[in-house]
Parts: sequence; structure tokens; C-alpha cells
Amino acid sequence: MNIVRTESLTKKYGTPDQPIYALNDVNLEVAEGEFLAIMGPSGSGKSTLLYLLGGLDRPTSGKVWVRDAELSKLGDDALSHLRRTALGFVFQFFNLVPVLTARENVAMPLILDGVPRPEALARADDALALVNMADRGTHRPSELSGGQQQRVALARAMIARPAVVLADEPTGNLDSRSSDEMVQMLRQTVDASGQTMILVTHDPRVAAYADRIVFLKDGKIADDNRLKGQGSPDQIRDQLSKVALA
Amino acid sequence: MTTQSTTHTHGRGATTWQMTVMALRYLGGRKLRTTLTTLAIVFGVALIFSVNLVLPGMRELFNQSMTTVTGTDVSITNVAGGTFDPAPVMDVVDRNEDVQAAVGLLYRQFVLPDDKSDVLGDLSQIQIVGVDPALVDGVYHFVMSEGRFLEPGESGSVIISSSVTDLAPQLQVGSTFSLTTVGGLKTFTVVGMYTPESPLAVPQFIVSLSDAQAALDQPSMINTVEVLLKPGADHDAVTKELQQALGGSYTLDDRAATSALPSIDVGFAMMSLFAALALFLGAFLIFNTFRTVVLERRRDLGMLRAIGATRQQITQTILVEGLIQGILGTLIGMVLGYLLAAALLSGIQSLADYVTFVGDMKLSFNVTAFAVPLIVGPLVALVASYWPARAAGRMSPLEALRPVPAAGLRHAARWSLIAGGLCVAVAVALMLTGSKGATFGAVLFMGGMVIAAPGLVLPASRLFGPLVTLWFNREGDLAQGNVARQPGRAAITGSTLMIGVASIVMVAAMVSAFMDLGQDLTDGTFASDIMILPQSIAVYDNVLGADQSLAGDIQALPDVETVSTLRAAATTTDGAPLSLLGIDLSTFRDVETLMFEEGNADDAFAALSAGRGAIVTPLGASTLGLKYGDDFVIETAEGPQTYKVVALAQDLLTFKTTTALISQENMAADFHKSEDVLLMINLTPGADKDAALSEVESLLAGYPQFTAHLSKDYADTMMETTRSATVMFYIIAALILIPAGLGLLNTLTINVLERTREIGMIRAVGGSRSQVRRMVTGEALLLGIFGAAMGVLTGVAISYGFIAAFSFIGWDMPYTFPVAGIIAALIIGILLALSAGIMPARSAAKLDIIRALQYE
Repeated sequence: MNIVRTESLTKKYGTPDQPIYALNDVNLEVAEGEFLAIMGPSGSGKSTLLYLLGGLDRPTSGKVWVRDAELSKLGDDALSHLRRTALGFVFQFFNLVPVLTARENVAMPLILDGVPRPEALARADDALALVNMADRGTHRPSELSGGQQQRVALARAMIARPAVVLADEPTGNLDSRSSDEMVQMLRQTVDASGQTMILVTHDPRVAAYADRIVFLKDGKIADDNRLKGQGSPDQIRDQLSKVALA
Repeated sequence: MTTQSTTHTHGRGATTWQMTVMALRYLGGRKLRTTLTTLAIVFGVALIFSVNLVLPGMRELFNQSMTTVTGTDVSITNVAGGTFDPAPVMDVVDRNEDVQAAVGLLYRQFVLPDDKSDVLGDLSQIQIVGVDPALVDGVYHFVMSEGRFLEPGESGSVIISSSVTDLAPQLQVGSTFSLTTVGGLKTFTVVGMYTPESPLAVPQFIVSLSDAQAALDQPSMINTVEVLLKPGADHDAVTKELQQALGGSYTLDDRAATSALPSIDVGFAMMSLFAALALFLGAFLIFNTFRTVVLERRRDLGMLRAIGATRQQITQTILVEGLIQGILGTLIGMVLGYLLAAALLSGIQSLADYVTFVGDMKLSFNVTAFAVPLIVGPLVALVASYWPARAAGRMSPLEALRPVPAAGLRHAARWSLIAGGLCVAVAVALMLTGSKGATFGAVLFMGGMVIAAPGLVLPASRLFGPLVTLWFNREGDLAQGNVARQPGRAAITGSTLMIGVASIVMVAAMVSAFMDLGQDLTDGTFASDIMILPQSIAVYDNVLGADQSLAGDIQALPDVETVSTLRAAATTTDGAPLSLLGIDLSTFRDVETLMFEEGNADDAFAALSAGRGAIVTPLGASTLGLKYGDDFVIETAEGPQTYKVVALAQDLLTFKTTTALISQENMAADFHKSEDVLLMINLTPGADKDAALSEVESLLAGYPQFTAHLSKDYADTMMETTRSATVMFYIIAALILIPAGLGLLNTLTINVLERTREIGMIRAVGGSRSQVRRMVTGEALLLGIFGAAMGVLTGVAISYGFIAAFSFIGWDMPYTFPVAGIIAALIIGILLALSAGIMPARSAAKLDIIRALQYE
């Protein structure tokens, strides 16, 4: 069963005379419970693809389905509702609200959805416990390290138990130890809850945890590799450079 | 995993609550900026609140002075407010079968002189009420708390309301005191005290009708008939019957408005205008701040959108912040407004005592006074933050995660230039036609400048840039680029400064025009050698004058050549209040020169003596819709009379009132007034003025209601006082510069914050701290010059329009270019900009290179 699917997904920038394709006719299917890594050189359209899948951006042409919903048919409010109930986001720069505490940040998707505050905060505490941050709930983002902030962001992405978690370079701003911790946590989440994980990264060590790696180049899928979590970082690195040089 | 909506309908409050918490924390996180933005609301609210606290009290006071003695069923007064012969009225009243009893009264409220009997304590204003002791009890029963009531035929006795003793504790039953009357001081003895119906009423001194008639020089006259109806009588029906029987010369249950009310209202309209201007600036400042806030926080907002916040929710977060600041600013503003009102009250009191008496004023804590600022303050904040909030809501989550493109701004700038230019063109056309639209033109001009400002930023920065470069070298170029980069922000900052500078220029231009007019009027008005003035000039409602014996005594002095007197009455024409001054035609032109707007002195004075003619003030003519040569009907004690407008002219005492000058003969015939309220004296050539003054003063010993002055000294003092009073306008105009300064500080601070990384780069490639500082200071200077230049232009235009508009209420004033004001305003504007730049420039220079480069 595919939870995310695209059809001829295209995103164009520039003038009609000189179009620049960020994505060009991408057809992608992601199965429920799959851990997918999207890799590719800079400018290959990784982030654009992720944003389109998450309904953060609108395609020039083509379609995106999340479950049964075709995103282009959704209005802004319906799209917002989809994002806060069915999708979870983790960004490279954490993007926590600086004036809110960790637990308030985590609770935000529920609060936006109208869950009573005490209930939302209680669930946030649970989510923080899952990422080993139970004792930091009352800290502000500025009082946390990068790795800790990213774990808060992960808890926030998971709190509404979204069907799909979208992560844009979640380890891009972390040192190698925090990076390892983070990706292990992502893997455990998929294994434990059966959620779908779509992750953009340029780090082969992170991609090595994925079930499947899609390589992008110049806005097109250059390679689609099912590793079932068995790939080694070196192998992935070789493949990445092959794609880049091809 | 469920795909169903988890929206809890009961959970909306949770979202709002969290948004409020977030807003509060964001605000708390930027204390300086929050304070600066909140202050933007504070000033406007403070002004509005103080105006509303003071105004009703002042109006109330004037109205109170018209209140009659008792709360009877029907009061009958003369439409002209004058005295009348009781017989015909009593005849009509007695014939009505629903009337149980009626009594005629003669009452008059007046100001006590400063050097009154000690026993009168702190009483400043009293109402003397003459009653017939035999008749009054049938209509109104005085509840005696001490002593006894007046007895028929008794003279020199008075009963007082017990509330009088609050102000004059020494005044007891048995006390004797001398009281100012038209015929000089008279001695009275207190024989009793009664409990008044309202403790707030003006202190009343009840005397016998004949005593009152003597004291006010109104033999056998009354000015009110109080009527008591039979039980069960239909009040409205009886009133109608009586009105019909009495005719249009009498008013039932109605008190004429005093002629001073319009001029109070004009003063407060000016204050309200300033308040509105301050709030307008406040709105600007909030708008600017929130636009920046939205830009600054676009990453946070984008993230909230990414995790599922709706547009509406994002808009709401920003609006909540605006509202919090609005409420906070309103509350602080109201505290400040209260203090301002208290200060204003004492200021008005001392100023008013000088020109016109207004009694003891109180702040009025009425619902409107509170409701207006409580609604307006938060509303202004809400409206001002609405557009930034909506823009925030409209950001797509991705836009929020990327830098903003600048193309749209340029495009908008061109449109603003076109739209603003059109407004300015229409405004100039309106002002040049010199029609009544000139005021509207002035306002439109300012609006046009504000609209055009974003489009003016680029040309202005090119125009003034070289100037700044001259001073700041290459850093000046950078500054110029930085200003031009954010035309919208520079425009708002420039506009705020513009309005501040424009107010100063406007005040300077208008003050100089008014002072010129004032000087001309003063020279004409105070042409005599010595003036004998009552306690209040210009408004004579509460003035107690003197009978002719005083003028006669003065005329008899050896050094005196001419004595000319003024008499006063109040009336209405076509329902509108009109003050009348009776002048002595044989002497008036020896002692005073009127400024004629239409008609000439010879013809006008000839017409005054020939029949019922009136010289009307230009303001009066425009208020009443009268033209030179018109006939108009005024209510008199003898019924309606037709007067002819024989000239439009004014002097210093009348120019801001609705006044008509008539002959004393007509005043005596139509209003039964022969009491002199003001005397002007010319001495024989070569007489010693000081010696003559002391002779006159010694004659005034029995008339403490009057003071004598050398006319020239008095005029000089008056001009001086007026001049110092205009300082208040400059202060208010300067207050408007405060939000402008805050706006500058805000913009520069934000510009530095936003360019932190850029500044780090400049430093990294070898820029020195002082170069960075000069760059920011140069930016401040450029914004300052931009705003000040627009301000001067706008100020000149607005003041030109306003002064042109004044000619339509009869004040012809030539426009003098306020050169000193313009130079001062330019310097103030630029200095303000430079000082607002000090802090941001310093913090920019102090930035740590590494941290600045990593600034997110």
C-alpha cells in the first residue's frame, strides 16, 4: 500500500524562455512504513521534492497524493490540517519557537489543532520521554544543545502520530555523535510505530539506515536503490559519486 | 493511524491562550522595542483622555452658571436672557387654571472680586437671588436649617444655603459682610441658612426682591417667573399653553447657551486634532514595527505553517501582539492622561482667570471619557497591525523559509508616487482656489505626502546622498544604499518624522500669523490711556458692572478728558447665542479703533445712532450666516427686534466671539441694561498718567469688581501672556516628535539587526568599527534629512491652507513664511535623527565579527 505517490511531478523556475527545472517529471511511490532517504548533489531538487510531498510548496505540474488526498485539490486550510494531523516535519535548523519551552514547542501541533492545553502538554511530555528529553521539558531552545533541540523537533514531528514524517537534512547541523543518535532514533520510530519516514540527506552514514535510497540529479530520479537497511556507508558514497559524475 | 480530523471544537481557547502566551513572551523578549512601540499609543491616548476629562467639566461649569434657583414645575425666562416687567407675564400665568402659584425672581450669578470681605472666605462666585418673601413660599419651600427666613418688607438681610459654609466657614447666622453691587458695596446680615436641593449648586444668597433690584440696578424688574402647577396637571400641555400665551419672547424651562461655549469647543477641537495626529503616528510606528517583526520572525512563522498552523492562526498571533500593546499603551496613556488633565486644568484656570472667568473646574470622570480611549487605543493598534498580520498569514510556509524578493516593493513604490502625487496636486489646487476646501486641501496634502513617501525614498536618497557622502565619505554611499534598499521602511520612518516636523512648522506659521493679528487688534483696542476692567473681559455673563455714577465720578477728575463705557447683554438670534456690547457713540471712537473688515467707521457709527444697527464681528457674521447690510431679528426683553448689519468689524475683546456692537440707547430700550461693565478713559494732553491712575483707583475703592490699568501696560502684559501661552502649542507639537524619534530609533535598530551578518562581513574584510558606526549614522542622517525636508514642505502647505481657511470665519491673516520655524524644525529633525542613530550605530560597531557572521 503506497502512502505517498507522485505523478509527473514538475517544478519549474525562471522565465518561459529559459526554464530551470528543480524537478522534472518525477514519479515516486512510497510504501507505508518505509524509511526512504533522498540523496543527490546540491541543486538536484532533494528539498524541493520534500517540500512538494509535504504540501509546503505547490508543483508547476503533476500531482502528489498523501494517502487518498490529492494535494492540489486541497485548499490552504485543508492542507494546513493535513500537515498538522498526517504529516510531521523535521528541519535542518530545528526551527523551534524561541520564546516557547521545549514541551510547549512539542505540543504546538496539538494546540494548533485545538487539543486542550493540559492534554497537549501531557502528550508532549510523553513524546519528549521517547526522545530521552523528559528532563528538559521546561527549557527554552536557547538553553539546549543542537542535538537536544533536534530531538525536541523530532518529538514535535511525532506528537500528532503522523502517518508520514518528512525530515530535511535533520543531521545537517549536528556533530557526528548527535547525528548518530538522531538517525538511530528515526530508525527506531519507523520500526516501533510503523510510520513512514522520508528523509533528505547528503550524509551516506545517515542514508545507510534507510530501507531505500532515491538518488536525484538535475531534478530527475537517477537511481532507486532498495537496501532494506543493509547498505554500508561506503557503498552509498560510491553510488552517490557515480550518480553525480554520470 | 487515523486520518480523521482531531479538531476539538472546545479547544479553540487553548490555541488562543497559547498564542497569547507566545505573544507576551515575544514582546517580553524585545523589551526595548516593545516599550518604544507601546509608547506610540501612549501619547495619543493620553491626549484624548485628558481632553475628555477636562472638556465636559468646563462645559458643565458654563451651563451651571445659567441654572436657576429652584426645581419648580415651570420656569419662564426672557429669550434674550434679560430682565422684564413682571406684570404681563404674571397676568398670563395667573389666568391659567392649572397654575397653583407663581413667583417672580431676580437672580444673577457673578464673580466676587479678589479683595472681598474676609468673612466670604474662598467663595469665588455666587448667585444673588431676589425673592418676595410673602409669595415665594407658595411656590418653593426653603428648608431652614438655622435661623429664620426673610420677612416681608425686610431690607439688608440675606439667607444663605448651608453649602456656602464649606467655602466660607466664618459665614454664620448673624454675620455681617459687604457685597459688591452695581451701585458699589452694600452691607448685608445673614439671618438664616437653608438646606439646598443640590449640594453642587452655585452658592446662593437669597435677599428680598427689592434689595436684589437695587443691587443689580434693575428697579421693578425680574428675570424669572417660577411656576408651581396644580397636582395632576399635564406639564407638557400647560407649558404649551403658557408658551402660546406669552409669545416668542419668553422661554419655558430652557436655558440659553452661553456665548463662550463655541470658543471652548474650538480649543478642544485643536487638542483632539493633535491627539488624533499623535495616534496616527502611533499607528504608523506600530505598522512599521510589525512589518519588521513579521520579516524577522518569518522562519518561526514558516515553521508554524509547516507543522499545520492555518493562515488565520498565524494572522491571529500577530494581531494578539498588536492588541496587547494597544491595551498596555492605552492603560499607561490613561494614567498619563489623567496627570496631563490635572496639569491642563491648573493651566487653563490660571490662563482663564486672566481673560475670562470660568470658575472652579473639576475633572469629569464620565463614561465617554473612559470609553473613547479604551476603544480607540486598542483599535488603532489592532488596525495598524492588521496588514502586517495579514501579510504574515499569507506567507506560504516555503516563502517563510526563504529570503524575500524585493521586486514587488519597487513596483509598489512607483504606484505610491503616482497616487500620492495626484493627492498633492489636488490639494495644492484646492488651497490655491482659496475656497472653503482649503482646510481639506491641507489635510489631503499631508495624506498625499504619506502615500507618495515610498516612491520618494529613492529619488530623495539620490538627491541628498551626495550631501551625506560629503560628510561620511564611502560610508555615506553604503548608507545611501541601505536606505534605498528598504523603501517601505524608510518611507514610514520618514513620514513619521515628516508629521512631527510639519507640526512644528505649522505651529510656527500659525502662531506668527495670529500674533500679528493679535498685535493689530491690541493696538486698536487699547488706544485709550486708562482702562477699568471687570474680572472677566470678552465674556460678560457673570460680570457685575457699575451704574452711571462711577463713570460720572471719573469724568469729574481734573485730568480726565473722555470716559467711554461698554455695556453688555446676552441674547439669541434665530436660536443661536449672540453677545451684545452697548457702546457710547459720542465717545467710543476717541478711545478705541475697530478693525473694519467690511463697511467703514463713519457710515457704521452714523447708522448705529440713526436706528437699530449692529456692527457684527466677522466670526459672528460667519457663525450666524450674516452679511454686510443684512437685517436680522434678535430677541430682546421687549420682544423680537430687527437690527441691520452696518459693518463687519472686530477688536481684541470680540474677535473670537459672536458679538454685535449696538448703541447704548438701543441696549437700554431693548434690554433694560444701563450697567457699565468696562470703562475706557482718555486723559487731557500732558497729564501725568500714573497720578491719574491712582486717582481712578481711589474712586474704585467701592467697586472691588473693577481694576484700573494703564492701557498700554495692560496690552503689553496681555500680548506677553498670549505669547507665553503659545509655548503650549510648541510643546504639544514637540510631543509629536517623540513618536517620530521612536520610529527612527526602531527602524535603525532593526536595520542593524537585519544586517548583522553583512556588518560582520564588512568588518571581516577590513572595515573598522568607526566605519561601521559612520555607516549607520549616515543612514540616520539621510532618513533625518528626508523626513525633515518632507516635513517642512508639508508644514508650509498645511499652515497656508489653514490660514486661508480662517479668512472664511472672518480672520484675515496674511501668510508670513515662518523662516525661523523652518530652520528650527530642520535642525530639530536632523538632530533627532542623529541622536536616534547613536545607539544602533554603537551596537553595530560593537558587534563581534565571528558571532555576527554566524548570526541566524
